Amino acid sequence: MGWLTKDIEHAPCTVEISHKFESLHAHVRFNNGAVIYPGDEVKVKGPEIMAPFGEIVIEDRDAIIFRASKLERLWTRLTGDLEVMELCEFSFSEEVTL
Amino acid sequence: MNMQTKHTADATTVEEGLAIAEAQDAQYNDEMATETAMANTLLTPRFYTTDFDELDAIDVTPVREEWDKLIAQMESDPNKGHFKKNEDWDHVDWDNMEPALKKEFIDFLISSCTAEFSGCVLYKEMKRRGNNKDITQLFQLMARDEARHAGFINDALREAGLRVNLGFLTQKKKYTYFRPKFIYYATYLSEKIGYARYITIFRHLEAHPEHRFHPIFKWFQEWCNDEFSHGEAFALLMKTDPKLTSGRNVWWIKFFLTAVYSTMYVRDHQRPAFHEALGVDPDWYAHEVFTKTSELSKQIFPITVDIDHPKWQANLEKMQKANADLALAKQQTGPMAFLKRMGASARAATAFASLYFIPAKQHKVPAVTRMEPVY
Repeated sequence: MGWLTKDIEHAPCTVEISHKFESLHAHVRFNNGAVIYPGDEVKVKGPEIMAPFGEIVIEDRDAIIFRASKLERLWTRLTGDLEVMELCEFSFSEEVTL
Repeated sequence: MNMQTKHTADATTVEEGLAIAEAQDAQYNDEMATETAMANTLLTPRFYTTDFDELDAIDVTPVREEWDKLIAQMESDPNKGHFKKNEDWDHVDWDNMEPALKKEFIDFLISSCTAEFSGCVLYKEMKRRGNNKDITQLFQLMARDEARHAGFINDALREAGLRVNLGFLTQKKKYTYFRPKFIYYATYLSEKIGYARYITIFRHLEAHPEHRFHPIFKWFQEWCNDEFSHGEAFALLMKTDPKLTSGRNVWWIKFFLTAVYSTMYVRDHQRPAFHEALGVDPDWYAHEVFTKTSELSKQIFPITVDIDHPKWQANLEKMQKANADLALAKQQTGPMAFLKRMGASARAATAFASLYFIPAKQHKVPAVTRMEPVY
């Protein structure tokens, strides 16, 4: 990883999407122990995974990890906090008018 | 669309549930899809990383007794089975709902569903990356609750003819970074203010059931008890390290209190039809919620913001006005619009600074942190 260059990695992953009444969730797990760092981007390859209502879909796929450059990682660490208010829930979207 | 259909929660077998869901799907026709123009709502949660080594280093020994009690209570899962529709789930007449109210209410459902869903993603990530058993266990339990809430709201959305799309995973997504302490302050307050918001509406509708325009509000009490427990967990996490709530960090706490309260005020005032239908004055509501949240946050924060200070309400109103003006100016083009945007942004920033610098109220933090929901 260079200061300005980005690396691209491939990682096998398992995607789990639950579209059930009891639980609505979606997760990606990397099966080779790949770790995501600040500023990295992840894309799961292949067509969109749609779970019909009432079902859980679990699929093994390949993911592409676009590693952030050193500079970008540092920048994300320094500035990421500025968006921390996103963690707060206010019941409504920020749109002033709908 | 005025016919009442059997609900998936009534199903006794998986097959029956699927058959009901399929029949419901067929019933929602294109007409309704165009009408709402949001029939396929892509959920867009954000993805975060944090300092996982710092999370692993948390030692809950100083609060062990309270911690174990809370975890045991969460593990016993008192709300399991609560988030099911039963005979209390009245029929919702979406067709005859006033259009402005419908828009705002759907915004409420989608935003709430996204928030629960994002919470689930965040907590699950912390669970997966962590190696400290106490911490991973807590985050697993919280992820369970959030996914359950998201599923429940999703069901209400389906009834309105809206389908959430979970296809975001195959899109490229960037991971940002938050420091653990900011996650504690923001999520603690978010959970506690969520409790205060839901219980205030629940109690109001108990007294004025004629304003309950959708059955989901009947589920708010148990729902907000989950939010309450999550807040308790974050309070205990902060209690393990006194530095988090003293010294320079008190300024951060004040920042989060001010930011969360003022954002809530601005957002609520942008949804007048929703509040009118509930029979709730947003100014009264804001004050009620701030009062309750402040009372609760005394369990761990050494300060509360002075919500009765004369400058408090005045600057909230200024901020709300500046925000509305800014949105209006953003729709216009040209040099005048640019100046208007600059002006409105400056007014919003000044109002926020004025709120922030109102002297805080100091108090002593109790030795025992844990509380029970009593509102």
